[in-house]
Amino acid sequence: MGVDFHRDELLREQLVTKYLYRRLSPDLVEELEGHYLECNECFEEMRATELLIRGLGEPILQRSRVNDVTVLRFMESSQLLAASLELTELTKAIRLEKDTKVLIDMSNVSRIDSTGLGVLMNCYCHAVKNSGALKLLHPDVSVKRVLNVTRIDSLLQTFEDESAAIQSFDGLQSSS
Amino acid sequence: MQFSDEDIEKLRPRVRFKVCYEVGFLCPDVDDIVQETLTRFFVASKDDKVRNTAAPGAFLNGICRNVISEYRRRTFRDEPMPEVIPEPPRKGLQEADLFEIRDAIANGMEQLSARDRRILRAYYLEEKSKEEILKVTGMTDENFRVVLCRAKERFRNIYLEQTKHRRV
Repeated sequence: MGVDFHRDELLREQLVTKYLYRRLSPDLVEELEGHYLECNECFEEMRATELLIRGLGEPILQRSRVNDVTVLRFMESSQLLAASLELTELTKAIRLEKDTKVLIDMSNVSRIDSTGLGVLMNCYCHAVKNSGALKLLHPDVSVKRVLNVTRIDSLLQTFEDESAAIQSFDGLQSSS
Repeated sequence: MQFSDEDIEKLRPRVRFKVCYEVGFLCPDVDDIVQETLTRFFVASKDDKVRNTAAPGAFLNGICRNVISEYRRRTFRDEPMPEVIPEPPRKGLQEADLFEIRDAIANGMEQLSARDRRILRAYYLEEKSKEEILKVTGMTDENFRVVLCRAKERFRNIYLEQTKHRRV
């Protein structure tokens, strides 16, 4: 007697989650696969669960602490453009966490626009107002060009070497 | 029992998902495996070889498994062919797709309240049981189902939106 995948939504959700984590027993895998291949509803549920798990598990910004400097890294290829999630996360990370010595690793940032620059400047002002600083690490060539054209690079220091960047914060009073 | 072209096309994303699940989403031969599976299934259905016509999924799953096994055996056996220069991957498009789907996921996540997010994290990522979550949060079974349904509804819509103009 097979499993009735429509009897209880929670049971189905459990099976689907285990399937996606590859922890379902082989006989149940076969049954579930045979079922979703012919049942659109269950297939859609599976794809929705997959996206939900991805959304829940995906930290876009990794935060680490070196001495008293907060280093923020974009975990995947990112773009600092208007309405992009990365900007929201960056603003949250800097403004809500009240970090004032911040180094942003830009190596995964491939593009930046005026909104992105605005957010960076906003975060910079926030850090400076609190006796801190915001600096950039490994900006991409295209990002560097934008920073240069807008003369923002005269305010925001950029570094190619992480330890040199960390050292450059020495002497600043830590507020966190 | 015979399946129309439309029926076969409806099966394609599901078979594709199953193939990707088995051979990995980055395998360059996913589409070939899917096509071979669907062709065999189509021929079998034309020859009335599908015994349980009310539930052909198991039969299709069996065909798909065979095609994947053959593919694996062939890949293991074949020598690489250095004279064939593979086409460079279409990085730009893949990145665009990635950004699009990530933004859609992010929008879906933003619509969840902090409490819902905590509950869903506990359920899906920490794999806590429903009972444990109810105990910690003081929610009722009904509330828990509502949180889950609401979140799933949002992400189902994201998936449907993505499939409107692209195969995923």
